[in-house]
Amino acid sequence: MPSSDLRLPHPPRGAPVTLRFEGRDLPACEGESVAVALYASGERVLSRSVKYHRPRGFFCLDGHCGACLMRVGGKPNIKACLTPVKDGLAVERQNAFPSGGFDVLAAADFFFSSGMDHHTMMTSPRALNAVMQKVVRQLGGLGRLPDERPGGPPPLPAVSVRHVEVAVVGGGPAGLAAAATLARAGREVLLVDEQDRPGGSYLAHPSFGVPAADRAADEARAAGVELISRAAAISWFPEDAPKPGAPPGLLAVYTQAGLLELTADRYLYATGAYDQNALFIDNDRPGVLAARAVGRLLSRFGILPGERPLVLGAGPYAQALASALENAGAQVTRVDGIETRLLAAKGHSWVRAAELLAPGAKRAHRVRCDLIAVAALPAPASELPRQHGVPVELRPQGGGFACVVDADGASAIPKVFAAGDVTGFKGPEAARTQGERAGLALARSFS
Amino acid sequence: MSSKAIVCRCEDVTLDDVEHTIAIGYRSVEEVKRYTGLGTGPCQGKECMVHAALLCARASGAPPETIAPFTSRPPVAAAPLRIFAAAEKDDDDQAQR
Ligand code: FES
Repeated sequence: MPSSDLRLPHPPRGAPVTLRFEGRDLPACEGESVAVALYASGERVLSRSVKYHRPRGFFCLDGHCGACLMRVGGKPNIKACLTPVKDGLAVERQNAFPSGGFDVLAAADFFFSSGMDHHTMMTSPRALNAVMQKVVRQLGGLGRLPDERPGGPPPLPAVSVRHVEVAVVGGGPAGLAAAATLARAGREVLLVDEQDRPGGSYLAHPSFGVPAADRAADEARAAGVELISRAAAISWFPEDAPKPGAPPGLLAVYTQAGLLELTADRYLYATGAYDQNALFIDNDRPGVLAARAVGRLLSRFGILPGERPLVLGAGPYAQALASALENAGAQVTRVDGIETRLLAAKGHSWVRAAELLAPGAKRAHRVRCDLIAVAALPAPASELPRQHGVPVELRPQGGGFACVVDADGASAIPKVFAAGDVTGFKGPEAARTQGERAGLALARSFS
Repeated sequence: MSSKAIVCRCEDVTLDDVEHTIAIGYRSVEEVKRYTGLGTGPCQGKECMVHAALLCARASGAPPETIAPFTSRPPVAAAPLRIFAAAEKDDDDQAQR
């Protein structure tokens, strides 16, 4: 495991700050998330898993997989990948006794080496059952309660209510293109994006990266789009009205200022897609990362993710990432996952090797690596449109449950549109084109 | 450390768990979720649901488009309860007016 600073020299960085990580000072740069700063300093085990207490690091670096929950600023279960660094911010691992590096409860992984079935556990003899319940209670749960605040809890944050002509959810290639197109057509557009920086999948793709993300966001703002970052649309509530007498249905948005109850004449979901893992032995080992997380480390944060990375996948993204890693000086092993199969990750608290099965071979062989980048098809992030009534369909070639829409992005629900990877994974360029087309169709729908 | 292929990272549900569940007759994503706890952790199925769906489709031989996802319930992303507590207070104020 590399332990020195992995920040590459070239991209300009924010001002230096210092994190307090388990009582130690750790260097970080403004603009980094807690997860990224820890990675750059060689701190990789962020927590222990809930049942078997297996060591865990982050996986998606995009706020979706839940693998990076830490205790931050005295609060449990905070996503380290979505939390910007701040000078003096206290960061601790959680779910480990006595520490994240060494965990006696990891014995659960040995005791239950063939799995823990809570159903059969409940039917075992009563006395044993009682003992098991105690053990399970010790093992289970996520984090400890927050530190007491002197002076009691702070006042509740304000709830704001807004109505706009078009609400766009998601600030990636599709959402930004649609929003810019709509604003140019004279429409009032509010775009909410859960990340701290707009750009979505541009920021994870070595061929696009920060320049493409900034250009798209600047174009949208210049056209008149109101863009709110760190604003996660968390639910569509079909029965609730923002005000008495208003028609039911509102989008709840969790912003840094509190809850926003948003309604609109038209809705566009451009929520993108979630990174997926591949199913091989010990695929949860720290060092097994979503390929797009590796892309973000490299393209957005200017960090060399590993010296000997293995890239798993046969698609265009795997190709682009492997070339970018090579250009950055890494020694890359490529495994397509079809002809040559990845059987297992090796290593304890960090990946050291991979076990591969070559075509026609009877026995597996090992290759050394310090990172496994899994380029599986990302799965459409279709929960919000589903809550809004938009039909979805399981499309293996589209990565999962894709929104069913026409060529203009219109769904079966009047005034509700979807565009980009949420309609089936397609990558940044095609997502942008589809977003533009949906923007034009939405603009026409007003006349 | 023992060897496990993890389908649901949040709840430590393994591929063996899911295959066992399907083998004893549960063939829908909703049933696999209820039996294994898959999809009930912090990420709410963002990483495991498609795997479960494809495993169900393969086991039952059903065409993928006939496989339904499990119901998505609020909130889609983690949010502190206090922001809802504030909304609740507004409702009460309105009721009192
Ligand atoms: S949620 Fe932070 S790494 Fe996936």
